[in-house]
Formats: sequence, C-alpha cells, structure tokens
Amino acid sequence: MNSTSIKTSLRIPRLNLRQREAILFYLCISPWLIGFVLFYLGPIIASFYFSLTEWDLLTSPQFVGMDNYVRLFTRDALALKSFKVTLVYTLVYVPLDMIFGLSLALLLNQKLRGIGVFRTVYYLPSVLSGVAYVVMWMWMFNPQYGLINTLLKYAGIQGPRWLLDPKWALSALIIMSLWGVGRSMIIFLAGLQDIPTVLYEVAEIDGANRWNKFWKVTLPLLTPSLLFNLIFGIILTFQTFTNAFVATNGGPLDSTLFYVLYLYRKAFEHLQMGYASAMAWVLFLIVLACTLVIFLTSGKWVFYRSIGE
Amino acid sequence: MKKYLRFTYMFVVVAILAAFVGGCAQASTPLPPEIVTIEKTVEVQVEKIITQVVEVINEVIVTPTPQPTAEGSKIILRVGTGDSGEGLNPHQQIIAEFEKQNPDILVQLEAVSGNDYYTRLLTQIAAGDAPDIIQIGDDAVPMFVSKGGFLPLDDFINGNYPLDTSIYLPGTLDPGKYQGAQYFLPKDFSPLAVYYNKKIFDEYNVAYPTDDWTWDDFLKTAQELTKDVDGDGQTDIWGAQLSANWTSGFEYWVAAAGGSLISPDGMSYVGYMDSPETIKAVQFYSDLYNKYKVAPPPADFNLWAGGNPEFESGKAAMRLFGRWPQTGLLSNPNVDLGTVEVPAGDVKANVLFWGGFGIFSGSENPEAAWRFLKYYVGAEGSEIWKLHGIPPVAAVAESAGMTTDPIEGAWIRGLDFLAPRAYVSTDYWGETGDPALRRALETVLIDPNADVTQVMQTAAQEAQAALDEKLK
Repeated sequence: MNSTSIKTSLRIPRLNLRQREAILFYLCISPWLIGFVLFYLGPIIASFYFSLTEWDLLTSPQFVGMDNYVRLFTRDALALKSFKVTLVYTLVYVPLDMIFGLSLALLLNQKLRGIGVFRTVYYLPSVLSGVAYVVMWMWMFNPQYGLINTLLKYAGIQGPRWLLDPKWALSALIIMSLWGVGRSMIIFLAGLQDIPTVLYEVAEIDGANRWNKFWKVTLPLLTPSLLFNLIFGIILTFQTFTNAFVATNGGPLDSTLFYVLYLYRKAFEHLQMGYASAMAWVLFLIVLACTLVIFLTSGKWVFYRSIGE
Repeated sequence: MKKYLRFTYMFVVVAILAAFVGGCAQASTPLPPEIVTIEKTVEVQVEKIITQVVEVINEVIVTPTPQPTAEGSKIILRVGTGDSGEGLNPHQQIIAEFEKQNPDILVQLEAVSGNDYYTRLLTQIAAGDAPDIIQIGDDAVPMFVSKGGFLPLDDFINGNYPLDTSIYLPGTLDPGKYQGAQYFLPKDFSPLAVYYNKKIFDEYNVAYPTDDWTWDDFLKTAQELTKDVDGDGQTDIWGAQLSANWTSGFEYWVAAAGGSLISPDGMSYVGYMDSPETIKAVQFYSDLYNKYKVAPPPADFNLWAGGNPEFESGKAAMRLFGRWPQTGLLSNPNVDLGTVEVPAGDVKANVLFWGGFGIFSGSENPEAAWRFLKYYVGAEGSEIWKLHGIPPVAAVAESAGMTTDPIEGAWIRGLDFLAPRAYVSTDYWGETGDPALRRALETVLIDPNADVTQVMQTAAQEAQAALDEKLK
C-alpha cells in the first residue's frame, strides 16, 4: 500500500518510444557535442569577433570594423599571391590525386596472394608524420646530391634545382604530396569492394569487355567515393601548410607561399591575430562555397545504389 | 539511403571546416598550430571506418623540481627556456647550486623546444601565467618589451641585491636593452666568424687566414681552395660555404661594407637598403656564388639556409657562420678546425646573435626572481655556463682561458667590432625589411644576371611601403 502511494507521487512522466530514443541519442552523442561547442563553435564565434579587431595577443583587442577585410582585398598583394599559389596547387593536385588514387585502388583490388602487403605499403606514407617525410623528400630533391637528380643524371638529364627554383618549387611540393595518395586510394578501394560481383557477371553475360565494365559499372558506382575524395581533397589542399612550412618556408621568392602559411605568419610571427582571423574566415567562405557548388551539382553525376536494389 | 549519405558527408565536411576555422581562433584553446592532430572519421558506403591520425611535431618537456613538502613558505620560481636536450643540463646544475645556497627558493625549469616557444610564451603572458624568468632571443626583445611583458631591471641592478654590469663582455648587454633601459641579462651569444678546415689548407699549401684579413684576402684564399680534383669540370672542393638567404647573417656583409639596412631612427629603408654600400655588399656576396663560384650553390632557402653539407663533409675549406655547430665540428673527423674573425670590408664589423633572461612583468616574486637571475647569468652561474660555451662574464671567460684559446678566441675578439642589427632600429623589421631583403638575396642567388642595383632599389621601396603602412 505504502509502496503504491510512493509510486504514484514519484511517477515519471510516461515517455513514448520516440522520446526515449531521442534522449538516448543526445546522451550518446553528448561527448562529441560538448567538445564541438567548447573547442570548435566557441573559437569559431570568437574568431569572427577577432576578425573585426586588431589584436596582438598581449594587449586587449581594438575594434576596427571591416578594416581587416578591406586590407585583405585591397592592400595586401602577398595575400593575393598566396591565394593564387594555393589555387594552382589545388587545381593540379586534386585531379592528380584522384587519378593516381583510383589507378592504385584498381591495381590493389585484384585477388592476389599477399595483396594485403601491397595495400599496406601504398597506404603507409599517408600515415607518416608530415615533417619526417618532408625532410626526407628535401634530401631527395637536393640539387647536388639528391636521389632524384642523381638518377636524372644517369639518364643524361640535368635536373632542375627543385625547391630552390621558383619555377619548380611548387611542382616539387606536388610530387612530394602525391606520395600521400594512399589516403584517397583507401577510400576508392573501399568503394570498389562494395560493388557486387553480380553486376560484373551480368555485364559479362551482356558481352561487356573490361573497358566497358570499367566505364559502365565501376565508375558510376564509384561516384560517391569520387565525390567524397573531391571534397576532401579540396578542403585539405586549401589548408596546405606543413609541406611548405618545412620544405621551403614559402620561398623561393614566395613561389610556395600558401594561404595558410601566410596566415600563420601573420598570426604567430607578426602577431596580427585579427587580420589572421579575417583571413581564416575568407578562406572558410571560399571553401564552403566550393563545397556547396560541388554538392549542388553532385545530384547530376553521383549515383547511389540503394539497399535491396 | 541517399539522404542519409548526403547527411553524413555534409556532417563530415562541416566538422572539418569547423575544425580549421576553430584552429585559427586560439583565444580559448591555445593549441600550438604545428601540433596538427587530424582525426577523420570517414563513413563511406560500405560503412568502413578509417581512422587516420597523428602528427605531433613538437614535444613539450617539463622538468618538475621536487615540490616543497612541509615548508609551504618557500617561494617557487618558474624559469622558461627554449633550450632542449643536453642544453638543459647547465640550467639544472645552476638551479641545484642556487637552491642549496638559497633554501627559501625553489626553482622549476620549464623547457619548450621548437618554434612554439614564443607562441606559448605569448599566450602565457596574455593569460598572466608566464614563468617568472624567461629566456628570449635578440630580435624578439623589442616585441616582448614594447607589449609590456617584462620588468625593467635598472632598479634591481642598483637595489638591495646590486649587480655590477661592467662584469660582462663588451656588447653583450646591449641586445637586452630597449629604449635605454636594461630588460635582459645575457645568457649566451655568438658573433660571426670564419671556420676553416686546416686539412684542406695544408693539402693545397695555403696559409691559414689571420684576424687582419680583408674581403680581398678572403676571396683570394677561397679561389685558391676551389678545386676540381678529378678534372670532370665540376668543383669538388669549395673555397667558402656561405648561408644563402640568411638575412640576419647577411647584415654582417652590409656592416662591413660600411652600410646599414635602415636609418638609425627606424623610419627609412630608402637611402639605406639601396645605398652604394649595401649594393656593394650584395654584389660581392652574389659574386662569391655566381662570378667567382667559390661558394657551393645553396642547398635550401630555409630560415638559416643551413642545409649545405660541404664544410662538415670536408668539401669546403671555410664557412662563415656563428658558434652553434662548433662542438660538432671539433669532433668531426673530416675537419681539423680553426677559427678566425670575419674579414674586414671597407670597415671591420661583426653582428651579434644573442639570448638572455628577463623577469616577467606579472611575476609575483620579482625580488626573488632577480636574486635568481643575478646568480643564473652572473659570476656564479657563469662558472657552469663556461663548461658548455662562452660565459658572458668576462672574468670567468678569461680565467677559463677562452680569450686566448685558439678556437674560442675569435668569438670573443669579434665582440669589439659589433654593428647594431636592423631590428634594433624598428619594431617592424621582421615584417617589413626582412622579407624584402630575403627576396632580394634569393633573386640575386637564383639569377646570376640580375642587376643588383635595381634589385636593391626594388627591395628598399617594398620595405619602405610596408613600413609606411605600419607607421600610418
């Protein structure tokens, strides 16, 4: 009798399944959510405020309105240069990364003994610490004693001065970065393995050769992976920093002055946190715009295979 | 399915965009930018999850000293240094000695190595939580002091625990001054000098250089030692290894030509960076590489342009540089080392590289900090510094025989000819003059046919425009 009365007074409002699931959902994602709000959303909002100020970290920020943005677009030739460098790098690197990544994935999708070893070998470089492999490549690119020019010499070619030549430095960085192609390769490989063999069998019955099968079956069904790698590639290349910071420090003659490297200089060498925040926001909006354009057009070229089809 | 996937992609993309914008606003989370930890959880159609991580570039070492157990009355001092590895040993020895003699004070050494040292200091100073005693390099002095990060030391120097500043080697106090007041005391320093490899000199029967040599002698010696040994048309032994586009090191050449890069009042590059003296220095430097071809071509254009291996591997007879690699060179089997002062151009000149300690303006125990600082880089501390380098206290250096030492002597004698570095004249050298000079040096090194006069005029105008923008 007693227990019944307590039960009535402490009755928890009856939740339906939907509400209980919702609570469980938010409970489960709360560690991420809290982290996101504290460490990303907070700083993002703060950085927008700082982009409207002049701030050197040590003295309190001075509000300057849109001045940082005006300066970025009208009075800073180096910022424009750094944007051009980054854009060229993105336009060249992303397609190369996709082509090499897909080619490697196709090769490594064979059913061979020990294929796991090869997959590991090709994926490994993209796990390595950025600085370690950049330093190694700097030695390979050394004009006098480096591996690359020594090999070219055997072939009778006088190699360029690579990282020391403004005409070649960016190309050298692209070659260096292509070593990390395993990142996109592994996503293509996952996509390839998800294509049901039955589709290839059907295509074979219809008389398709390998070429047909690639263009009519493999490629269309890989478009989600392509979309992912495209967007990811663009975001990553717009943020290129480590390679240029270590290998060239933006030189020679600013030929590898990437946007984020310039941003870093402004922020941490010249202590212009406000200006650097403005640069970050401009880059953010550019990358967001690129991403949105790709998303909005993706309906025309990306095919999703629904379950049970 | 389609909808779900789109959502997933969008989600991942937004998260990553957010991560990088967030990374730029470090107000609440002062993560050093080089510690790039990228964690991507990528959900693809097959729902394979690939986690890829890991880039930790800098390491942070904090050496804790034992905490006071019962004595809560002890003053705890924190010391910040950018030294690392074996370079921390002398710090720890001096701290141990000091604590023995001053039982009321405990000293904790905080070592942060790598590029993040200043960034970390700035955030610590901004948060009011910096070490009590902080080590700073020469060209960072104006920035830190002008922002109010440090206490002037003059009252301490003449206060309860006075310090006789005449004990220091000539020129070593100046980099610690800002607008006439002393903010830092010297810890270590290096002017420039020329290393030479006696093996190569002996082999080709060339006389060792002497302190009274000139640019002409330098060139002649370098030419005599530039050799194509196997007759294949390629140089095998180089006369002198130089430091490519290292701008602060290049200031020596300008000073020795009798010029300077900026007006003493810090207002003008035009008339200085493009003066006949500066042009003469750039021309001679460029000629050493391009016309006389006595210097091995640069191996990199990085900060110190330190990638050339020729001198260390016994393929270059001389190297003009600071004292930093000396210990390694002394034990290098390819090199029988000698040192000599830098050659005189139209005038005899040298430039100083320097590190010193100051007291954080927010220190809660400034007097205790001063007592330690005075010990740290005074006569007592120098007795330990001398085991690891040249101590800044003249009497200690002398009693250790360094002033007359055939190797160390050149570094001390070089102190008598110091010209002020450009950063002393303007707080904005790092973002105005330095990049312009760097571009100019790269231009003449890349293009042997570049017109040096024109290159320096462009550089002066670029630097002036950047400076005017800052001073507006």
